[in-house]
Amino acid sequence: MERVAVTGVGMVTSIGTGREEFWPSLLHGRSNVGPVESFDTRDYSVHNGAEVRNFDPERFVLKLDPYQVGRASQFAIAAARLALIDANIEIDRLDPHRVGVSMGTTSGEPREVERFDDNNVANTLEQVGSSFIRRYPCNLIAGNVAREFSFGGINVVIPTACAAGNFAIAHAFEVLRSGRADLMLAGGSDSFSRITYAGFARLGAVAPEICQPFDRHRKGMIPGEGAAVLVLEPLSKARARGVRVYAEVSGYGLSCDGHHMTAGDGEGAARAMSQALDNAGIKPDEVSYISAHGTGTPTNDRLETIAVKRVFGESAARIPISSIKSMLGHTMGAASAIEAAACALATLHDQIPPTINFSQRDPDCDLDYVPNLARDHRVHLTMNNAYAFGGNNASLIMKKCES
Amino acid sequence: MSRRVFITGIGLISSLGDSAAQLHAALCSERSGIARNQSFDIKGLTCQFAARVESFQAEKYLGSINLRPLNRSSRLASAAARLAINDSGWTPDALAQENVGLVLGTMFGSLRTISEFDQRILEAGPTYVSPLDFANTVISAAAGQAAIVHKLRGVNSTISTGPTSGLQAIAYASDLIRSGGAKALLAGGVEELCFQSFYNFDRAGLLCACNKSHCAIPFHPQRNGFVLGEGAALLMLEDEASISQRGAPVLAEIRGHASGFAPQTDDNDEAIEAIARTMQLALSDARVDADNIDCISASANGSIDWDRREAHAIAKVFDGHSGEVPVTAIKSLLGETLGAAGALQVASAVQAMGDGVLPGISGLTQLEHDLPLTHSTNCNQRIDADLTLVNSIGFDGQCCSLVIARYERTN
Repeated sequence: MERVAVTGVGMVTSIGTGREEFWPSLLHGRSNVGPVESFDTRDYSVHNGAEVRNFDPERFVLKLDPYQVGRASQFAIAAARLALIDANIEIDRLDPHRVGVSMGTTSGEPREVERFDDNNVANTLEQVGSSFIRRYPCNLIAGNVAREFSFGGINVVIPTACAAGNFAIAHAFEVLRSGRADLMLAGGSDSFSRITYAGFARLGAVAPEICQPFDRHRKGMIPGEGAAVLVLEPLSKARARGVRVYAEVSGYGLSCDGHHMTAGDGEGAARAMSQALDNAGIKPDEVSYISAHGTGTPTNDRLETIAVKRVFGESAARIPISSIKSMLGHTMGAASAIEAAACALATLHDQIPPTINFSQRDPDCDLDYVPNLARDHRVHLTMNNAYAFGGNNASLIMKKCES
Repeated sequence: MSRRVFITGIGLISSLGDSAAQLHAALCSERSGIARNQSFDIKGLTCQFAARVESFQAEKYLGSINLRPLNRSSRLASAAARLAINDSGWTPDALAQENVGLVLGTMFGSLRTISEFDQRILEAGPTYVSPLDFANTVISAAAGQAAIVHKLRGVNSTISTGPTSGLQAIAYASDLIRSGGAKALLAGGVEELCFQSFYNFDRAGLLCACNKSHCAIPFHPQRNGFVLGEGAALLMLEDEASISQRGAPVLAEIRGHASGFAPQTDDNDEAIEAIARTMQLALSDARVDADNIDCISASANGSIDWDRREAHAIAKVFDGHSGEVPVTAIKSLLGETLGAAGALQVASAVQAMGDGVLPGISGLTQLEHDLPLTHSTNCNQRIDADLTLVNSIGFDGQCCSLVIARYERTN
């Protein structure tokens, strides 16, 4: 079976667009959490979010009309364009029918349904117009990326909520391994959503100020938005092109708790990690960095810690594990795609981004969370964890590719 | 080391019955699931019809479990899952023990739940929304809820590719089994009918504008759009080892599939090329030629452009033989069930091969001028079919094709 290489990464985040901005921001522990601007939060119990500010779709959406596609599609197209440039892809030299797109999302294009609801409540439905069906369905995120670049290969959206990015990358990995495409754009995208914000606020899962994963006084997540896309291609083709290879995707595990929609039990998470290790054919102590799901909610971080210890045993204490959600907030379906891009960058640079806002250890969270400061560390194998509503768990493993 | 993928059970909930046999019988006797839409206010809209699953009672399939957390999509999917599990002979204990997973296609998830949750934010205020409802606003909610109901602890994935979601989910699951990533998976699709999707499809001008229930006829010269439907269909897919371990019956085999995309949906030639290429790739994946295909289940639903494009693509792939390969299309009776559609087509095709009868295209008294489908008719045809090609095509340019084989025990 074909080995699969990551040869490009692109992202739109609240702390930088493109890896030249994003990676230094991560290493410096930057964060742009602040009062939500997408909608009025006066009636909400919380007010902070991690939104992407000053995003100019016209810089990236060049073929399609940037204002005829939703914000999540704009993000996805921007991330895809940046990833293609990063991978040094000459689009004209690709067989467009052999290039596919696999994207994850939680909400698709929520602003379209929110606009519908605004009008429905105001009894002005006639103002919705005819565009909803051409703008709202979540599959359009992958569709719009393919339209922007004229790609005719497999085109899929996997909307498995907060684990969607990992699901989409895992699927692209399978598509390439089975020879169904020459190149895959894979990642995730979500735009800031009133529905998501209100829901997490109602669950009491949103922190009032900042996100402090694994800290004793952590108060919850900060909803965010963004996108990341990875260029995946057969390692043999990447070598033939002579391009830089960030890492090789070497395996993944997907599992379901089958227990509760919103309360994980840690067992499924451990099972996904173990499966990923088996699938990649590696032993737990070979992992050099774990990118945590680490939302900053009291329950997630405690259960994830327990699950990591169950899978990694004694070596758990020696493996650095950090949550970049401390900086980016929780970007929903984009989160694990952005984190996968961070894993690829960590592998290339042998540096690990920190968990910021960490001030006091929690007795229940006793691993090495890379508190506050980035670290130089030889990164050979990374594990990227993601968990979602529905008891969905996804762990992805990438490996340094020695030339 | 590619493994073979078998269908060992089928479960479905549709406007034409709750088993493949009932669906097939309804199609063959031209009973329609389409009726005047009375489930919500459609004043001022063009289309007056829908194919709703009337009198659906989830309790009938799911027993005394707490149904309150399950919205209509979750109930339809969970009921179809129950029927597929029963049909395949899995016991609940074995199902949980073996980490059987679920791959569910859906276009919208529950658009009704999403929209009503949002309206509650607007009308009552964000602090008065229900946490239970929020969990059901994610597009993957039905897959999650069905996993809880049936203790499905393996892969739990949701696939959204518009109206091709159901067939794409089956393709995705097939590859997981082929590569050894899973040994048994439920795969298929679900879609619920709701005001929000109906309204917006109507406003987009995609729905049938006639004033009679039997008018969204695939390939008919007077078609002008489709009728929206709903339902769920799931297949139990398994590899050989799992089947022999269980001593399970086999209904059919999934031989191959392919997916493609037409980026320019207003370009006829490009769309035809994408559909044809996808069908051709599915044949190659199944290691068969067009000559080996005995019948085709078309995606056609009454759309003006896409029905014509599919017909021309079929002619292209079957290069002169398209006159000899019978083509059926089941949406004139079942409606366009979006995420469920491709899975319902597979269920119907398996039953048609088993029974040796291909249902006619109901209402197709006349074929659009110049459409190269001379062997399509409104009459049922006797078939001795080993291989069926199933197409699923979306108005966004999504294409998926799948080859299924009748299972002979001597294989």
